[in-house]
Amino acid sequence: MIKKEGRITLNIKLKTLKRGARSAFIHLALMMFMIYLVFPLLWMVSLSLKPTPEIYSADPSLMPRTVSGEHYRSVLHEERVVRSILNSLYVGITSAALVVLVALPGAYALVRYKSYANNVVLGWILTSQIFPVILLMVPLYMILRSLSLTNSLLGLILVYVVWSMPFVLWMLHGYIKTIPIELEEAATIDGATRIQIVYRILVPVLLPAIGASMLFAFISAWNEFFLALVLLKSPDLLTIPVELAKFTGMEGQARTGPLAAASFIATIPSIVLFAAIQKWFSSGLVAGAVKN
Amino acid sequence: MNKKIIWILLAIASLIGLWNLIHDQSPNSDTDQDKLRYLSLAWQEQSIAANKAIVAEWNSQHPDMEVEYIQGTWNSIHDYLITTFETKETPDIFHYESAIIVDFAIRGFLADMRPYIGQEMYSDILDIAWESVTRSNGEICGIPFLMESFIVLYNREIFEKNGIEAPSFESPWTWDEMRQAALALTQDTDGDGSVDQWGVAMGLRSAANIIMNHSISFGGSFFTKENDLYTVRVGSAERPLLNLIMDMLYVERSMAPSSIGKTGAAMLPEFFSGKYAMMVGIGSWARQQIVENAPTGFRWGVIPPLKAQSQDIGINTQTLSIPSTSKRKEHAMAFISYMLNQENMALLAASDWMIPTRTSCLAMDEFRTVDDGWNIVNASVKFLQSGSWLGVPGYVEWKTRVANPIFQELFADRFTVDEAAERLETESNMVLSRYQRGGARW
Repeated sequence: MIKKEGRITLNIKLKTLKRGARSAFIHLALMMFMIYLVFPLLWMVSLSLKPTPEIYSADPSLMPRTVSGEHYRSVLHEERVVRSILNSLYVGITSAALVVLVALPGAYALVRYKSYANNVVLGWILTSQIFPVILLMVPLYMILRSLSLTNSLLGLILVYVVWSMPFVLWMLHGYIKTIPIELEEAATIDGATRIQIVYRILVPVLLPAIGASMLFAFISAWNEFFLALVLLKSPDLLTIPVELAKFTGMEGQARTGPLAAASFIATIPSIVLFAAIQKWFSSGLVAGAVKN
Repeated sequence: MNKKIIWILLAIASLIGLWNLIHDQSPNSDTDQDKLRYLSLAWQEQSIAANKAIVAEWNSQHPDMEVEYIQGTWNSIHDYLITTFETKETPDIFHYESAIIVDFAIRGFLADMRPYIGQEMYSDILDIAWESVTRSNGEICGIPFLMESFIVLYNREIFEKNGIEAPSFESPWTWDEMRQAALALTQDTDGDGSVDQWGVAMGLRSAANIIMNHSISFGGSFFTKENDLYTVRVGSAERPLLNLIMDMLYVERSMAPSSIGKTGAAMLPEFFSGKYAMMVGIGSWARQQIVENAPTGFRWGVIPPLKAQSQDIGINTQTLSIPSTSKRKEHAMAFISYMLNQENMALLAASDWMIPTRTSCLAMDEFRTVDDGWNIVNASVKFLQSGSWLGVPGYVEWKTRVANPIFQELFADRFTVDEAAERLETESNMVLSRYQRGGARW
């Protein structure tokens, strides 16, 4: 009897130990992953604070030996970084909002209205991702020029909306498919119209998906370089990736300090935005909505 | 809470949008449309400042012919220009390099600038610089204003410590003498069994440019032209440099293997720390980085071009061109003439630490100083030669898609020089034949 109790205690201890080891391993792996993700950002901040000769040191260190604000002063004084961040914010937020606004009813229709055209549309969405941007650039430019939308942020927003649309549509299509039809049926019984169902029932349930889609569209627009480079001419309209590219030179050279400072400044809005909408990503909103 | 965030985001977007509308200075407005658009690739602080100062001065003197300064970037200029050529919304003047604009000229994208060039400018700019932008029919597709040449930099302290005397301009080193010095300078300074100080570093990440330009001194050309068609041949004149680099890397081990995957700029920290005693095949612009960023007390110098059969080295010029679609070619040329007058060209060359193409600029004292190596860089101008690749249709694609990858694999010791030569000939000629079906020639 005592032996059996001892064995049980040992088993419990072993299980606790195993659980502890597993938990420690997971935490260690997560920590390593975090370091992997955060290190480039830390390195960028470090570079932005080092005086130029220290950047060229053959014995680099993460902590600057001398902290200097010269690169930030240079960037804010000489370059149009702040202006370009505002342009990028405007383009990014507007295109993200527009793309979700247009894609949401589209994705809903694709899921709920069964038609032979659905597969064709979904196939087209995938096919549209194949074409490289350089291939589309000239015809796209000509279309925008005929609409007087070159060298205009509005033109760029429209291009980004179209550019992100297939993927966002695909993402939302996947999310909507997971929502039980019973939710809508219940709303229909209560007398809700189709539009009410979409905006009153589905949208709250789809908030994580909308957040993810908006973030995808925003980041696509925020990072996009080539379309902005070609479509925008006026220096006052340039977006942040185009502005940052000006710190690089020929043969792999770059003004490393100012580039790091400008990149860090440019990172702040996207981090703030991400922090603001990260709650949308909390999953499980649908869980328990329907009793099986 | 979520609704609040949506409203906040929309409010931010609206406010920024409103601000943008108020401050919109797009060239669609009438006043800006009249301006000539000048796309510059200046990227260093001093160089951008010099460009902007010249443009501002021009604008104050020519209110009826104002110029808008547009900042371009080296990494994206090619795709940008190709797109603007196709859409016919080109800048009126653009900055680029001779090795690439020849391709644009062949495709009819560039205006012939010959009728607009003044006699003073034509006679003052070096013939070799003109050669890099002049087609066989006499058309000139750009005004060369800066020249780039590869140089050899050395660490004076390491040389002195090892009793090695740097060669003078009058008595230059041969490639073999450099090789012997590199062997002597490659050392395990702390006795831990691994090399801490390499004799030579060569930034071979984009190797084609360096190999092609240096092969000229061995009599190598890579490209041969027969019946108006180019082919690539890697023969007895092209192989010695490849063999020399491979021997230094893997037989004598006097060239730093860590350097071959780097660009010129990326080698500088190791050069400053004394890990590399010499850097071979780095652009003359690197002197600026040394002057501005080297640790206090760092002593360095420039070695004259190395000699094989000759000291000749390939030339690449930076140019200002006018697209054929520009409706104001005369105005554009008037601005270029001002931009590249003697005083302004000297300012641009000094701010970029590159060689001016005007003989009158080369005669200036500021381009003959000893401390920062201008004396040797300036005197080496007589060795600059046009490469046989000038005007080869598809050269840019050949360089990036064929030559660079093959050279990278060769220097990583994936195959022998013979195999590299065979691959270069086969793959190059496949690319070239595709371009040469077209018909138009340089």
